[in-house]
Amino acid sequence: MISVSHLTKRYGTHLAVDDLSFEVGKGEVVGFLGPNGAGKSTTLRVLAGFAGMTSGVVTIDGRDIETDSFEARKRIGYMPEAVPLYGEMRVGEYLAFRAELKGVPRGRRRARVALAMEKSKVEDREMTLIGNLSKGYKQRVGLADALVADPPLLILDEPTAGLDPNQIREVREVIKGLGSDHTVLLSTHILSEVESSCGRVLVINRGRLVAEGSVAKIKSLQRSPGIEVRVRGDGALALAVITKDADVSRVDVERGDGEALLRCTWSKKSLDAPAASERIIASLVGAGAGVRAVAAVSSSLEEVFAELTRDGAAPEIRPIGDPEGAAEDA
Amino acid sequence: MRSFWPIFKRELFACFVTPLAWVLVCVFLLVQGMHFYLLVDFFANQSGVSSDQTPVQAFFGNTVLLYIVLFLLVPPITMRLFAEERRSGTIEPLMTAPVSSAAVVLAKYAAALVVYVFMWAPTVLYIVILRRTGEVDWHVVGSSYLGVLLVGAGYLSLGLLMSALTRSQFLALVLTAMVILVLFILGVGEFITREGSLVHEVCSHVSVWAQMNDFASGVVDTRRVVFDGTLIVLPLFVATRVVDTWRWS
Repeated sequence: MISVSHLTKRYGTHLAVDDLSFEVGKGEVVGFLGPNGAGKSTTLRVLAGFAGMTSGVVTIDGRDIETDSFEARKRIGYMPEAVPLYGEMRVGEYLAFRAELKGVPRGRRRARVALAMEKSKVEDREMTLIGNLSKGYKQRVGLADALVADPPLLILDEPTAGLDPNQIREVREVIKGLGSDHTVLLSTHILSEVESSCGRVLVINRGRLVAEGSVAKIKSLQRSPGIEVRVRGDGALALAVITKDADVSRVDVERGDGEALLRCTWSKKSLDAPAASERIIASLVGAGAGVRAVAAVSSSLEEVFAELTRDGAAPEIRPIGDPEGAAEDA
Repeated sequence: MRSFWPIFKRELFACFVTPLAWVLVCVFLLVQGMHFYLLVDFFANQSGVSSDQTPVQAFFGNTVLLYIVLFLLVPPITMRLFAEERRSGTIEPLMTAPVSSAAVVLAKYAAALVVYVFMWAPTVLYIVILRRTGEVDWHVVGSSYLGVLLVGAGYLSLGLLMSALTRSQFLALVLTAMVILVLFILGVGEFITREGSLVHEVCSHVSVWAQMNDFASGVVDTRRVVFDGTLIVLPLFVATRVVDTWRWS
């Protein structure tokens, strides 16, 4: 559906996208993951035909985005990052306008608008001025706009950015439902975002593809940097036990009301974190330190990126079109 | 070009659903009504003095009144066309839909032109009022309105280009007003340069002042029409290229 080869985009001296190549097959739901400023939006804009590329070739459903832009754009439903809308129009009016603009025949327009509103759950706001909508509703109107002409490909730029947790869940539900009828490419900087809806993930950092694979593979790269142990008393005994362990490089202690929280960080060379956790818990219990709670410290996505880009090479790059990744979005 | 129609409709909708167009029309009619009253009053008190001037002629040409009105009211019609969409970001969904740059430019231009015509339409009543008290040469009226349409269409085209050049509506307004002013001053150059010199030739050719005097006297000079046509087509063409660069930069 999407084929990107050696895409490079330069803004003056700033290299936004650097020799990026990837493919998205028909019917896939692919997450485009990267920290802020990684080049996600720029890449999606190029795909949507709103930004030119410095070099490279992009085709949408076999249509070159530069030489056959009109035909390529017909096949895309694009939702820009900030979801800019005409505030002076009502939701229904706006979607009817967009449907006409995208060439939906007059006879089918009403039905398409109604279906798009239903799919993105904005039917109850059909007569509301867009300027008066909440952020969550605006986001969904943007989604309805992307859907209104029933394009085979949806490109969604941070569809849940700026929403509250309830709204995020709702939008995710909507996107999950789209996978059966459309090919979806969505960008995000939150790992859990792709977990819920995407079959395959492309990880991008500083304009380069650093990893590609199933959600499980990417998640396995998200190594916990340490564990947190909550113990009875002032934690002096526990501290003595933990500092003896070779895999712990550093311990921060936080003393509270009758208990202490010890934050252990694994040393860089430690490889088997689960075994180390087991060992530490066992020795703490054995020493009678009064363990009350143990939790793995979760790593942020930025740390995963740091891990991925540390040696300049992507550890988990797999051949494009890997069947394992594709099978999971079914 | 299939996308012309929806964009045209939306532009008109945006103009008339917000107060802008109505405010402009109100101000325009107020000012023009005052001009008309003053002119008719002036000519009514001129009995005895034989003059080849008529109120219609003075309304459309020979006085500075028309230019003040165009100078003040054309820039606000065109300032928002592109500047607003680029400031608010709505240009992105617009340009990523299957639309051609030419369709976008022409649709927006056509909408501005319709607002302009809508603004002028009620002034036909003035002529009808004149008709009740005296004779009106409908040919002169026709050529006068043609002149107003052509000059206005050129100004609107320039205004659209200015709006495409900046993200700021205010800057678009100022730039358009400046271009209109410069064109007017060039026309005035006809009176202060030596006859026969190149500057004089150029000034008299581009003079909106001389053009409206001609049209208001019933003289439709094809050279004027060609100049106005250039003033319409050239900025629209450049604006189309400007819109193209947003897509590919």
